[in-house]
Amino acid sequence: MTEVVVPIGPHHPALKEPVNFKVVADGETIVRLELDVSYNHRGIEKAAEQRDFVRVVPLLERVCGICSHSHTTVFVKGIEEAMKVQIPPRAQYIRTIVAELERIHSHLLWFGVAAHEIGFNTLFMWTWRDREAVQDMLEEMTGNRVNYGINEVGGVRRDLTPEQIQAALKRLPHLEDRIAKYRDMVNKEATMMIRFRGVGKLSKDDILKLGAVGPTARASGVDYDIRKDDPYIAYADVPWQVITDTHGDVYGRTLVRIGELQQSLQIVRYCLENLPAGPIKITTPRAAPRGEILSRYEAPRGELVHFIRTNNTDKVERLDIRTPTLANWTSVAVSLVHQNLADIPVIVAAIDPCLSCTSRITIVNERGKKTGEMTWDELSAHGREFYRKRGRA
Amino acid sequence: MSELLKVEQVAKAMEGLGTVDAMKPNRIRVATTPAKVKEAVQRALKDLKCDHVVQIAAVDNGKSFELIYNLTGPHHTVVSILLELPRDKPEVPTASDLLPPAGLYERQIHDLLGIVFVGHPNLKRIILNEDWPENEFPMRKDWKPNPNTFYGGVHTEEAK
Amino acid sequence: MTLSQRLANWARMKSPWITLFNSGACNACDIEVIAALTPRFDVERFGILAKGSPRHADILIVTGPVTRKQAPRLRRIWEQMPEPKYVIAMGACGAFGGVFRGLYHVVDGVENVIPVDVFVAGCPPRPDEVINAVVACLGLLKEDLARGGKEWRAKKTKVIERVEAKEGAQPAPAKPSEAST
Repeated sequence: MTEVVVPIGPHHPALKEPVNFKVVADGETIVRLELDVSYNHRGIEKAAEQRDFVRVVPLLERVCGICSHSHTTVFVKGIEEAMKVQIPPRAQYIRTIVAELERIHSHLLWFGVAAHEIGFNTLFMWTWRDREAVQDMLEEMTGNRVNYGINEVGGVRRDLTPEQIQAALKRLPHLEDRIAKYRDMVNKEATMMIRFRGVGKLSKDDILKLGAVGPTARASGVDYDIRKDDPYIAYADVPWQVITDTHGDVYGRTLVRIGELQQSLQIVRYCLENLPAGPIKITTPRAAPRGEILSRYEAPRGELVHFIRTNNTDKVERLDIRTPTLANWTSVAVSLVHQNLADIPVIVAAIDPCLSCTSRITIVNERGKKTGEMTWDELSAHGREFYRKRGRA
Repeated sequence: MSELLKVEQVAKAMEGLGTVDAMKPNRIRVATTPAKVKEAVQRALKDLKCDHVVQIAAVDNGKSFELIYNLTGPHHTVVSILLELPRDKPEVPTASDLLPPAGLYERQIHDLLGIVFVGHPNLKRIILNEDWPENEFPMRKDWKPNPNTFYGGVHTEEAK
Repeated sequence: MTLSQRLANWARMKSPWITLFNSGACNACDIEVIAALTPRFDVERFGILAKGSPRHADILIVTGPVTRKQAPRLRRIWEQMPEPKYVIAMGACGAFGGVFRGLYHVVDGVENVIPVDVFVAGCPPRPDEVINAVVACLGLLKEDLARGGKEWRAKKTKVIERVEAKEGAQPAPAKPSEAST
């Protein structure tokens, strides 16, 4: 059978970032995936060696605009570990609140994008509208809707006033309602069930072998969550649980994310109601003693790792970042084989790719003749057509 | 919850491969050599029940290159396998047959630091743009951009 | 102006179509532009649609500091757009590279690749500011249509020499640019 190479992208409006796919397809079934994502590489790790601890934090914040708090928190907690200092409990709780709000906004964003991929634009509009409540909370607390700038080595930069806490608590019940509705929708809505169930299925062994992390892994029953395995900031104090599922497909990943949304709201409520009094930062030494720290964090997309070497100066000697999306790409390549072209947008969207964190990926195959081209939009549209023709979606 | 690994357990599993020390209660380091690293990874996967590769970190410490394979498992302890490579010939056998995600991680390290992973099926460019010159490895400590080299981007002839 | 020309101008003014190009950004700016399409800010009521193909768009919104990989592609996308076209460079990155200025894989700022009409300040700019920028473009469009094109703008921004290495590179000559928002 002739193999057709279908290059897709690098310019697609629905997805936020530039990606180039080359899919080798045998008719409609995918044989191999070629993925080129070197579009976002900026050279941040090298710049981090030249900026001191105060100046490097805004740079790391902008590794990714969606999980910006994750990158700064994992870095400053690593430096604090190297300096052997403990930040005050109030600062830990504030970091936790912002971290969980970031998780909520990220999962709602993902949900909207995944809905958009299957043509369910109403849900896209609804989730992004609900997301605005979270953005408002973040803006009141930190001063910005995205890229919050609340972390520094030694604590947080802004405090929460009682009025802000009350205003935030007032917004939570509405969000809890909406998320309960989305949970129902996922289980009853016909389009979502057809596009999500059975698609991109990976077993627990596959997930472990391929190194996937985050909700992608937890949807296959892998019970790893850094917030429980290696607790940091306030997660050891707050009552919450890890959400896992056994379906292993896109539907399972959706359920895990919705479950995490509910847990995050619970954590935010607990932290706001039980915020300890005290200072929000401590004075830290200017230089960090020589050492090696492996700092891990559960970002919305999975396990984020910063490997830090310090050398008695006020700059890091080496910062090596491994983002969750980089860990998940191998599983995408494998889970796409033998699936339909029409399922590519959904499967890729299901790992919640944050390509600016990853900054490029190329899983190339050796041979390929170009006989067609598609933009991402056309591929999404192809997906919807494919399922409509089958007479079910 | 599973128990954390103890230093003695790791030392027994890694018998003959290098020195073992505990950096933290949940992080144990094994210092080994490039020739023995695959054996060390194999033993970590089998005897120490590690099933998840956290990261493969690569460092240029000015004198040599260091690779640190960080693995973890249900015991929630990170086993860090450390090895050092000489600067003039940084070669090490690939771990991508034992650890599939290493396929991508090793390509990235090769692009940025120039470490050669012998036996890797596809060690092509992955993170730098297609016009980036060969043999320039930006994450090396002694690398500085050369003002006369074109590293990629837009040429003046194209720009009007 | 003939009737059909007046009609075309009216259609352009009342319904500018935008296309978004991410040139290696952290995605915060992209999220804010897409948030402008969602019910809270809702630019569709102004007739603004986000179109995928640059061939259908009036306004190109560029986010990111322009990585070396994206620079030639950005140039190509811009060339594919039919006149009259306007370029909005989002945020600090679009203006001069932002926090990424000087990094080895970045061409600092959109102006080094294509001419820019409007800069929007912020990191990231709020969706309201994005709408403001699009409206500013409409103001420019109105003036240009009345004068039959963009050529009358003597102070049009020029694309400068290629930027390949940070050491030894000449700094860009200061040039006046159009409305900065």
